[in-house]
Amino acid sequence: MTEPLNDGATPATAEPNPMTTPDPTPAQAADPTPAQAADPTPVTAEPTPRTTTDPGTATTEPTPAADPGTATTDPGTATAEPTPAAQTGTSTAEPTPAAETGPALAETPDRAYLVPLDELAPAITAASTSRRAFLGFGLAVAGGLVGAAVISRFIPIFEDASDAASPIAGTYDPASKQWTFVVDTAACIGCGLCVAACKEENNVPEEEGFTRTWVERHTVTTDGVLYVDSPNAGIDGFPAESTAPGAAGKPVQASHFEPRLCMQCVDSPCTAVCPVGATYHTEDGVILIDSRRCIGCGYCVVACPYGARYIVPAGGNAPNDTPGVADKCTWCYHRISQGQLPACVEICPVGARKFGDAADENSEIARIVREQKPQQLNPEYGTNPRVLYLGPSVEEA
Amino acid sequence: MHAPGHTMTLAGRTVPVGPRAASSAVVNEIRSMPTGLRIWFGILLAAMAVGAVGALLALPPGWEVFGTTPSFEWGLLIVAYVFFAIMTSGLCLASSLGTVFGIERFRPFEKRHAILAVLSLTTAFGIIALDLHYPVRMVFGAVLVPSPSSPMWWMGVFYGAYLVVLLVEVWSLFSDHPNIHQWACTVAACIAILAPITLGAVFGIIAANPFWHGPFTPILMVSSAFLAGTALLGIVFYVVHRLRLADFERSASIALPSVRLLLGIGLTIVAALVVRQVAAGLSGTPPGLREATIALVSGPLAFQFWGGRVILGLVLPALLIAMPMTRTPVGTLAASILALTGVLLDRSLFVSAGQIAPTTTVAGTVSYPYATYSPSPVELAIFVGAVAFLAFTYTLAERYLDMGETDVHVGINWPWVRRHDTSDTDHDHDEPAEVPAVPAEIAAIRMGVES
Repeated sequence: MTEPLNDGATPATAEPNPMTTPDPTPAQAADPTPAQAADPTPVTAEPTPRTTTDPGTATTEPTPAADPGTATTDPGTATAEPTPAAQTGTSTAEPTPAAETGPALAETPDRAYLVPLDELAPAITAASTSRRAFLGFGLAVAGGLVGAAVISRFIPIFEDASDAASPIAGTYDPASKQWTFVVDTAACIGCGLCVAACKEENNVPEEEGFTRTWVERHTVTTDGVLYVDSPNAGIDGFPAESTAPGAAGKPVQASHFEPRLCMQCVDSPCTAVCPVGATYHTEDGVILIDSRRCIGCGYCVVACPYGARYIVPAGGNAPNDTPGVADKCTWCYHRISQGQLPACVEICPVGARKFGDAADENSEIARIVREQKPQQLNPEYGTNPRVLYLGPSVEEA
Repeated sequence: MHAPGHTMTLAGRTVPVGPRAASSAVVNEIRSMPTGLRIWFGILLAAMAVGAVGALLALPPGWEVFGTTPSFEWGLLIVAYVFFAIMTSGLCLASSLGTVFGIERFRPFEKRHAILAVLSLTTAFGIIALDLHYPVRMVFGAVLVPSPSSPMWWMGVFYGAYLVVLLVEVWSLFSDHPNIHQWACTVAACIAILAPITLGAVFGIIAANPFWHGPFTPILMVSSAFLAGTALLGIVFYVVHRLRLADFERSASIALPSVRLLLGIGLTIVAALVVRQVAAGLSGTPPGLREATIALVSGPLAFQFWGGRVILGLVLPALLIAMPMTRTPVGTLAASILALTGVLLDRSLFVSAGQIAPTTTVAGTVSYPYATYSPSPVELAIFVGAVAFLAFTYTLAERYLDMGETDVHVGINWPWVRRHDTSDTDHDHDEPAEVPAVPAEIAAIRMGVES
C-alpha cells in the first residue's frame, strides 16, 4: 500500500512546525539534491510554485529534486486541489484520443480542452442513433480513462512540491529504523500534559471529541465492574471519582490510567480499507495520511479497532487547510524523523511514555522490550500494533 | 424568429433552443397537465428544493452540519446511499427473471425497472457525493491510484460499471436494439449480484465491528436488495394500474401478482437472516457483538427493531400477501410500501447497531453504555430531497417516455431460455403444462379487482 510518491509528504505539511523546518532559500530549492526515495520520476505536474513555498507549510518530502525548470510552473495553476488531474479527467469525458491529453496537461491552455456544446451535439446525436457511433463514443471515453491512468504513471499528478533542502532527505534513513512506543500504565499519573502537548504540537482541534492521544482511567469497583472514563480526553487531569455513568459513590478496588494513541499497526485495517490509498505506511512503519488525497469517507475511522482516527472539522486546525479529512497520531513524524522525541513523550513528567529505535540494541527502548516484555493491547484484533504496554493494562487485558 | 444556431435536431425534429422558446414550451406543458400531476410535481419540487438547500450546506468540507461524531461516523447519508444502491440491484434481480431468464410473467418489469434502476443508482451516487467531503478526489483517486485491498474501491468499480451497463440497457431498450439489450440485461443482472455483495463486504470486512463483520453481511445485502427492488416495483405497478398508465392491462394481471410472489420469497429470506442475526448476535463471542445485539433487541433500538423492522416490515407485509382477502392490488401496494420501509429501517438499524456500542474509546470520547446519533436537519433534508428526486425524475420518465412494452426482449435466446416462437411471445407453447397456471392467477386477480 505504500505509495512511494508520497512517503513523508504528509507530516510536514500536516504539522507545520516553523521551529524545525528550515527556511528553504531559493538557491537550495533549486539545487537538484540526489534523492533517497525509490521513485525516480521527476516532479513535473505539481502546481505549487516552489519558489514561493511558505516555510510554515514547507514540505520535507524525501523525493527526488525536481527539474529546476519545473520551479517556474505557471503559478496560476497553484491550488490545493490537483488541478492537472481535473484537466485530465475533463478531457477524458470527451471522445478525445488518449494521446491528446498529454499536451493539455503540459501547456494548460485556457479552457481550450472544452469542446463547445454545439460541436459536440452531432456526436451525441449520432451516438444515440447509431450503434457504431455509440460504441465508438464508449470506447473513446474508456480509452480516455485508460490513457489518463497510463499518463499518471509517468506524470505524478498527485505529487506535491518537495522541499529539496529538507534535512530529512539528507540524513534520515527510514528503512533502518524500527520505531517502538512503550506505554507504562503503572507509571502514568493522568496529568493530561501529553494530551495538551499533542494538541499544541500538532494543531489538533481544541474541541472535545477530537484528539490524537488521550488518557483513560480504568476503575474497577468492589462489585467487580470495570468503568472507563476520560473527561475531555484527560487533558485537564481527572477528578477524584470516576465520571463514568453508574460509577459514582461505589467503593473502588483498583484504578489505573491508560494513555492511548494510534497503535501504528503492522497489519493495519485503516490502510487496507482506504479506497484511494490516502493513508499508507512509511518505510519506518509509521502510518500517515495524505490530506490532499483523503476523500473524507470515514471508512478508516470506522475500521480502526483502537478508535485512533477522526475527521477534522472545519476551522483553523485542518492539515494543509483541508478540513473534512481523516487525522490521527503520527508519533510526531516530523519530529522523530529529525531525531527528536514525540511531543507527548518529551513532556511526560513520569516517563510513562517511552519511544525509540528498537533496531539500536543499546537503546533504552530495546532494553525495555528485551527485559520487561511489554504487550500489545487487544491482540485479538490481529492488527499487530507497534505500541506496547506495561503495567495494569496488560494484566486487565 | 430563431437564428440557425439556436435550433437543434432531436429525434428528426428541429427544436428551437432559446430561453423564450424553452420557457413558453414549459408553460404550455404545465398548462396541459392534469391538476393532480401539477400538485404532485409541486410537492416534489418543494422537497427537492429542501434537499438542495441541505446539499449546499453539506458541500463545504468539514462543516459540522451532520449529526455524526468520530464514535458514530456513519449516519443517515450512508444509510440512504446503501438503501438506494441496493434497491438498484434489487430492481435488476427481480426483473432479470424476465429479461435474462425469459420467464413470461416477469416480462412487464422490463422498461420500468431499467429506468428506475438508473435513477435509483444516480440518486445513490448523489447522496454519497454529498456525504464524502471530497467526491472529486474520489473519482480521480480511484481511477489513478487503484486500491484493490479496499472493498470500497471495488464497490466503486462495480457500481461505476453498473451505471454504464444500465445506461446501455436503457438506451438499447428505447432505441430498439434487442441483442445489445439482451446482453446489457444479462451483464446488469450479474453486476446486480456482485455490487451488493461488495457493498456488504465494505461492512463485513471490518473486524473491529463485530456486528458488521462476517460473511453473512453480503448475503443480507443481496437479500434485502432483492426485497427492496421488488417492493419498489410493487408500488410503481400499482400506480400504473391505478392511473391506467402505459401497458396498465398487464400491470394488474401479470406484474402485481408477480411482485406478490417475489415479495413472499424476499420476505422469507430476509426474515430468516434477521432471525440468524439476532440468534448469532446474542450468543456471539467476539467482544462487542452481544452488546450491539442487545442494543438492537432490548436497548435503545428495540422499539424500531420490533415495532418497525419486524412487525411492520416483515410480519404485516407477509400477512398481506398471504391472506386471500388482501391479495389485491391495494394489498400488494400496502405490502410493498411496508416491505420497502422495512428495508430502509433495516439499513438504518444495521448501520446504527454496528456503531452504537463501541468496543473502544474513539478519539478520546468514551461512549458508555451507548454512543448517540440523531440525523441533523441537513441530513434529513438531503434524504427527503433524494427521495423526491427519484420520484420526480421517474414521473417525468413515465410521462414523456414510451413505457409500453414493445417486446424488444426477443433478442438472443440464451441457452437457458426455453425456445419459443418469436412471432408469438406472449404464450409459451412449448410448455403446455404451464399455460393454465398464469391465466388462473390472472383470473383470480381480475376477480379481486372487480370485487
